[in-house]
Amino acid sequence: MKVLVSGAGGFLGQQVVERLVKGGHQVRAIIRPASPAPAWAAHVEIFRADLRVPDNLISAFANIDAVIHAAAATTGDENLRFASTVAATENFLSAMAQTPVKRLIHVSSFVVYDWSQAKLVLDESTTLQNDMYDMGGYTIAKIWQERVVTKFASSHSWDLTIMRPGFIWGRQHEEIAGMGRRFGRTYVMFGPRTRLPLCYVANCADCIATALEKPASIGQTFNAIDGDAVRVWRYVREHVTRTGQRAWLIPLPYFVGLGMAHLAAFTSRILFGKKGRLPSLLVPRRYESQFKPLRFSNRKLTELLEWNPPLSFEECLSDTYMKH
Amino acid sequence: MLENVEVAAVCDLSAARAQATAERFHIANWYSSYKDLLDNVRPDLVHITTPPISHFPIANACLSSGLNVLCEKPITVTYQDFCLLRELANEKHCVLMENQNYRFHSSVQRICHLLSAGELGDIIDVQISLSLDIYAPGSPYIDQNVPHYAAALRGGIVGDFLTHMAYLAIKFTGSVQGVRTAWAKHSQTSPLATDEFRALVKGERSTAYLAFSGNAQPNGFWIRVSGTRAHVEANLFEPPRLTMRRLRPGEPAVTKLIDGIAESRDTLKGTIAGFWRKLGGISSYDGLSELLARTYRALETHSSPPISQEEIDETARLVDQLSAAEHTL
Repeated sequence: MKVLVSGAGGFLGQQVVERLVKGGHQVRAIIRPASPAPAWAAHVEIFRADLRVPDNLISAFANIDAVIHAAAATTGDENLRFASTVAATENFLSAMAQTPVKRLIHVSSFVVYDWSQAKLVLDESTTLQNDMYDMGGYTIAKIWQERVVTKFASSHSWDLTIMRPGFIWGRQHEEIAGMGRRFGRTYVMFGPRTRLPLCYVANCADCIATALEKPASIGQTFNAIDGDAVRVWRYVREHVTRTGQRAWLIPLPYFVGLGMAHLAAFTSRILFGKKGRLPSLLVPRRYESQFKPLRFSNRKLTELLEWNPPLSFEECLSDTYMKH
Repeated sequence: MLENVEVAAVCDLSAARAQATAERFHIANWYSSYKDLLDNVRPDLVHITTPPISHFPIANACLSSGLNVLCEKPITVTYQDFCLLRELANEKHCVLMENQNYRFHSSVQRICHLLSAGELGDIIDVQISLSLDIYAPGSPYIDQNVPHYAAALRGGIVGDFLTHMAYLAIKFTGSVQGVRTAWAKHSQTSPLATDEFRALVKGERSTAYLAFSGNAQPNGFWIRVSGTRAHVEANLFEPPRLTMRRLRPGEPAVTKLIDGIAESRDTLKGTIAGFWRKLGGISSYDGLSELLARTYRALETHSSPPISQEEIDETARLVDQLSAAEHTL
């Protein structure tokens, strides 16, 4: 298969390209004009474009069988994230709509779920965020990106698969939101026994490539996680130990943190009405979307696509912390 | 939110962004083409908040349709384009205004009040100094993939801020009689042509020193007005903090002590009030809400707009003078 990968220069995109090459696919990788090209195999075709600029994107789709859309901004303010994630997706898919390409795998995120509505288990049937504007810029952008993708796919009858990874981690991306917060040498964990919806970056890439290769994924949405066996305490302890840090680990019960967030939100409403602004940790819905103690299911992925993570947590740790 | 104002529609080239904005602020209509918007909606005022290069064609279309316009700064890329728009606005009896929000910033208003109360004496000089970390990681100003819209302006990134510095300077100096500028590049690895700017402006009442730095840190937008009786200073990014040093009679050592205590008190009071404002969700662009309130009140009562065409004209001419020397580096 000849596959076009957007966001190929990113943390996940690079691994997706590597996995596709290993799987025997031909790859055309979209890299921003000023970004260095990763050290891929020589036959990976580089297509230079920034999706925020709509010009000449159509040619990226020439002779392509399928598209993996992994482009999204993970840094910058809300405005920049929206432009680089949502407006860029509009440009990209408008170009795709002018070509015969019909197969699209979209890389979404766990942030599209309304964690506050999840009871015990968060899976593909969990309610999506509807009122997202008090959430962070990344959440707003990813929700709107998925809306745009779904709308395009529906109006052009594309074969769409949506992948929603949990916390993607790996080398140089070891610190994830679910860990809690780091204040200097102190790590505060909001619910140390909470399970983490981890997705190691190479496993995530494998999962996306598997969805591409298996027709059963068409028209489906999958949570892309390795499992939920690892808890916050272990993840943080492994990180601290393997990076050789001398750090304090402070566990704080989840409901204590949530109670503080509700108290802060209540006080803010009394003092300032709806206009009040609080740090993200003290906004109850934002707190919940990072730390809520839930089970996270990848059953659909394992049953429908027969996918299991190729690397165990131990192997992922070894790969990630090799440099240390 | 202004009570007497209803947002009739929003428009963005990105349909998703227009729709998201409409959804977020409960606005009934959204468009991805301003021409479609103008065909379907007759608002009392059009806010143009697009990049500067598009101000002229959009403002031209609005004014041609007989609609009032409030445009982001700089109102046009060239002074000549502004003159064309002004002519059209007068012909169509429309309001044409530039967003000069810092005129109505609470700290600037307080300085003006001190001035009119005679507490500063006669103005001798005003210093306006803007420091912005344009090289911060992820900064749109140095994005090599998609050039920042300000790259199309004379003066580049610096040109994007000249309007604010220009109208604030004129507010205190009066009509401009002479200008000297110096442009420089501090960061030798920068993709920008210039990242430092200084200017001296001679006005009919006083002088002004203007400075933009893309390297000096931390970020701040300082205004310091020196009069014959007192100096007053404020960081416009951190309202309402404002400090003042008065000319006091008495033993110098004692007056310095009194001044120090007074400044500390003002700093502490202003800093706590600033933090409180942040918690209350009040933007540091507090001049904007006042400007909008005055603008809509003027439209409702058919009175003069809060910023006159003459003031916008003077600003545009000074910006033109300040940016003229950029290419001579």
